[in-house]
Amino acid sequence: MLRFSFIFRGRGVAKRFASSFSNESALPPNLLLPTNLVDPDRLKRPPPPADSSLPPLRKCDAAVPAHLTPVQAWVESLERQDSEPLGVAQLHPDVFAVPPRLDILHSVETWQRNYKRISHAHTKVRSEVSGGGRKPWKQKGSGRARHGSIRSPIWRGGGVSHGPRGPTSYYYMLPMKVRVQGLKVALSSKMAQDDLHIVDSLNIPTPDSQYLLDLIRHRHWGESVLIVDVGEDFSENILQATANLKTVNVIPAIGEFTLSDFCLSLNSVLTD
Amino acid sequence: MSLLGGLLRAGASYCQSAGTLLHTVRTISTGTCCQIRMHAIPQPKKVDRWTEKRSMYGVYDNIGILGDFKAHPKDLIVAPCWLKAFKGNELQRAIRKKKMVGDRMMTQDRHDLEKRIRFLYRRFNRTGKHR
Repeated sequence: MLRFSFIFRGRGVAKRFASSFSNESALPPNLLLPTNLVDPDRLKRPPPPADSSLPPLRKCDAAVPAHLTPVQAWVESLERQDSEPLGVAQLHPDVFAVPPRLDILHSVETWQRNYKRISHAHTKVRSEVSGGGRKPWKQKGSGRARHGSIRSPIWRGGGVSHGPRGPTSYYYMLPMKVRVQGLKVALSSKMAQDDLHIVDSLNIPTPDSQYLLDLIRHRHWGESVLIVDVGEDFSENILQATANLKTVNVIPAIGEFTLSDFCLSLNSVLTD
Repeated sequence: MSLLGGLLRAGASYCQSAGTLLHTVRTISTGTCCQIRMHAIPQPKKVDRWTEKRSMYGVYDNIGILGDFKAHPKDLIVAPCWLKAFKGNELQRAIRKKKMVGDRMMTQDRHDLEKRIRFLYRRFNRTGKHR
């Protein structure tokens, strides 16, 4: 029996060894895949190559350091569902190609959760509970345990000795540079995972929410989309279209936030 | 009679052995009067991840950085006025509350606040290791 188990273990090791030599995407033969499976890696358009010959629609305003190259991104349009990208935009590498610092993202996320937190938990201390000023029975002679007030913490209905006290705030501020770096890390990680789309303007032909949903599904942008506009004014169509949708939201550029479970589409106006 | 005596003695010895057995064995519940009742596997609670609050959480937190520093994120905090953009222990919060809101408070609340400040001052500054 021992001999048989040794042979079986050896065969498993040999199989794993052989598969490591073969090509990387060797699927097991008994794999059952659903028929409507979508592989976004094959369906999304690859980002433009670094040395593409197309003239960029937008160049970086700030000077790019010599050892870095600008990040290229397609500029798309929301006019028609199946329109081709209009051109290529160059984005500054100090914002969109920052190394992915997950610890900074985590600290920014916890700061966002906690700095506004006010806990209203409050308990009464023995001096605040009504009653309990008089000594319940005399010190000696009654045979019962000695007590000074009926609201001491060992009594039922008495005060809480070390409970939460009043509205408490958990406010603190991270250094501004850490928060800025958190925004940059969020944007560059979205860019690196092909979840960031640049759109020339937010004009949609119809104020229909279904049009937006069909467009997002056709272009495989993901489950939820956050639309960020550089300027303050939005066209009526897009406001009406996103009003009823839960997973598609529009915010101005001032209101960016770093919760990164969205597929972001940025509107960068060319005069920016 | 002898039979009865024998039976009694047998009964007594049996009771003795049963008594010793009862002393050694723990009580077993057969589950007839169980106080806690619940279904076998509870249903997972359904949480809507896309409510207005959840989807727009954290918007405008970077209003200072992205908005030319006209506003500060501390302006977004919804809190009692003595706690906006302030963090402190209980004594510091109580002193701040008395300074900012004390003249507007009810008499009993103000009295309790003053007693609490007096108690905490003595507790923090006169007792314990850290003075």
